[in-house]
Amino acid sequence: MISVSKLTKRYGDLVAVNNLSFEVGKGEVVGFLGPNGAGKSTTLRIIAGFLGQTSGKVEVCGHDVALDSIEARRSIGYMPEAVPLYPEMRVVEYLTFRAELKNVERSKRSKSIDAAMEKAGVADRATSVIGKLSKGYRQRVGLADALVASPPLLILDEPTAGLDPNQIRDVRKLLRELGKEHTVVLSTHILSEVESSCTRAIVIAKGKLVAEGSIADIGRRSRSPALVLVVRGDAAKAEEKLKELDVFSGITVEITDEVATFRCAWKKRADAPENTERAVAALVGAGLAIRSAAPEQSKLEDVFAELTTEEPAKGDDKE
Amino acid sequence: MKAFWPIFKRELFAFWVTPLAWVLTCVFLVVQGLHFSVLVKNFAEMGQVESDQTPISAFFGNTVLLYLVLFLLVPPMTMRLFAEERRAGTIESLMTAPVSAPAVVLAKYGAALVTYAAMWAPTLLYVVILGRSGSVDWHVVGASYLGVLLVGAAYLSLGLLMSALTKSQFIALVLTALVLLVLFIVGIGEFVTRDGTMLHDICAYLSVWAQMNDFASGVVDSRRVMLDCTLIALPLFLSARVVDSWRWS
Repeated sequence: MISVSKLTKRYGDLVAVNNLSFEVGKGEVVGFLGPNGAGKSTTLRIIAGFLGQTSGKVEVCGHDVALDSIEARRSIGYMPEAVPLYPEMRVVEYLTFRAELKNVERSKRSKSIDAAMEKAGVADRATSVIGKLSKGYRQRVGLADALVASPPLLILDEPTAGLDPNQIRDVRKLLRELGKEHTVVLSTHILSEVESSCTRAIVIAKGKLVAEGSIADIGRRSRSPALVLVVRGDAAKAEEKLKELDVFSGITVEITDEVATFRCAWKKRADAPENTERAVAALVGAGLAIRSAAPEQSKLEDVFAELTTEEPAKGDDKE
Repeated sequence: MKAFWPIFKRELFAFWVTPLAWVLTCVFLVVQGLHFSVLVKNFAEMGQVESDQTPISAFFGNTVLLYLVLFLLVPPMTMRLFAEERRAGTIESLMTAPVSAPAVVLAKYGAALVTYAAMWAPTLLYVVILGRSGSVDWHVVGASYLGVLLVGAAYLSLGLLMSALTKSQFIALVLTALVLLVLFIVGIGEFVTRDGTMLHDICAYLSVWAQMNDFASGVVDSRRVMLDCTLIALPLFLSARVVDSWRWS
C-alpha cells in the first residue's frame, strides 16, 4: 500500500524527516507515533501529496507520489491535522463538493455521502453550516470527507486531537471498524490510541525511525523499569536481602497467604540482567524459594518516553 | 481537468454566499448608474453632437471613471482566491484531492470572471434605455463590452496571481492594486513621452486607456486583443506554476 524509502525532507537547515524508510501493507492499521515536532505530519503530508520530498521515494498503491501524484492521491482519503473546512458551506454541500472533486460517480454520489456521514457520525448535522459546528463535529466532517470516495487507504493526521474523552472513544471505535475495510495510517502522540486501535506502530523522533513493529514488540524492546519477584518464605528476610544488594531505588511488597510479590524498581535499568541474577542468587542463598522473576511489563507510555528520548533503537540491547 | 467544474461551482458559491460580491455589485452599480445618468443628462443638454460621440462611447471610453471602478472592483474580488485558502489551511484538503494545479487555477479564475461578467450584466439595461429613446449602434455596444470583458479578464488574472503569491488577503489586495496602477500609469506614458520614441510605442501598446477608447468607438484591434490575451494567459500560467511550487517549498 505505502512504500517509503530513504525519505528526507528539509526546510532550509532544518531536517524534518531524515532518511526514513517503512512499508505499510494492505489491511494494516498503523499507528504513526512520535512526540510533537517529530516529523509525523510532514511525512503524512508527503504521502498525501501535499508536500514534495527533498530526496527519497514514496509510493502509494504502486504510484510514485512525486511523479504520478494525481493517481496516488486518488487512492487516498486524507484528513489533515487541523481539519480545514470551508466555514460558509453546509455539511452536505461540502461533502458533495468533495465527492465531485474525488470523481465519485454522479449516480453513486448521494449514497456515498450518506454512507460517509453515517460512518463518521455527522448524519444528524447534514444541513448545519460548518462554521457553526463544534470542534468534535468538524473533526467528523473531516473524517466523512476522507471516507466519501471509499479510498483503499486512509491517512488520518491526529484524528482524536482536541476531542473530549467520549468523542475519543467513539473515534477509536470507528477506527477499529474502518480497519476492516481500509488500510489506515494514523498519527498520534498518544500511545493508548495506538494500543486501542492499531495492529502495528511506527515510532519516529526527530525525523528518524526509532522503532517499528507490533505493539507487543515495541513494548518488549524497551527496558523494563522494575523487577517483579514472587517469593515463598520469610518476606521480611527477603526484603532485607534485596535491600542489601543496593541496586533498587524502591521496593514495594504485597503479601498474600503463601507468597510475597516484590516490585523492585531499578536504580540503573541498563544493568538489569546482571542484577536480576544477583537478586535471585541472594534470595536462593538465604534459603527462600522463588516462584517467578520477571521484568515488569512496561506500559506503552513508558516505552514511548524511553524510545523517543534516547538514541535510536540499536543501543537498547547493548548498554 | 475533471476537477474544474466542482471547484468552479464552489468558488461561485463562495463569492455569492458571503456579502463581499453583493456589496461590490451594489457599489459598482450605484457608481455606474450615477455615471450613466450624468452622461445622458449632459448629452441631452448638449443638443447637437457629433455622430461619433454617443453616451455609449463616453460611458466606456475617454473616461477615468471606468478604471477607477475596475481599480476598486478587481482587487477585492481576487484577493481571497488563494490567500484565504492558504491562511485557513483549506488548500491542504484541496491539493490532496486528485486535482491538477491548472484545473484549480482555471476554476478559480473562471468563477471570478463569471462573477465579474454578472456584475456588468445589469448595465445592459442602460443600453436598452438608450435604445428606447434613440438609435443604438450595436456594433459599438458589442465592442465596448468585449473591451470591458477583456480588460477585466486581464486584471482578474493579474489579481489571481497576486493572491497566489501571499497568504495575506490584504497584501494580495495591495499588490493587485499596485500592479493595476502601474499598468495604468504606463498607459498614461503614451501622452507624456515623445511621439516616435520606442518608449512611446511601448506605452501606447500597453495602454488600457487607448484600448478602451478604441473599443468604445467600435474598433476591435487584434493587437489590443492579443495584448489582453497575453495579460490573461501569462499570469494564469504563472499562477499554476506557483501553486505547483508550494509542494516544494
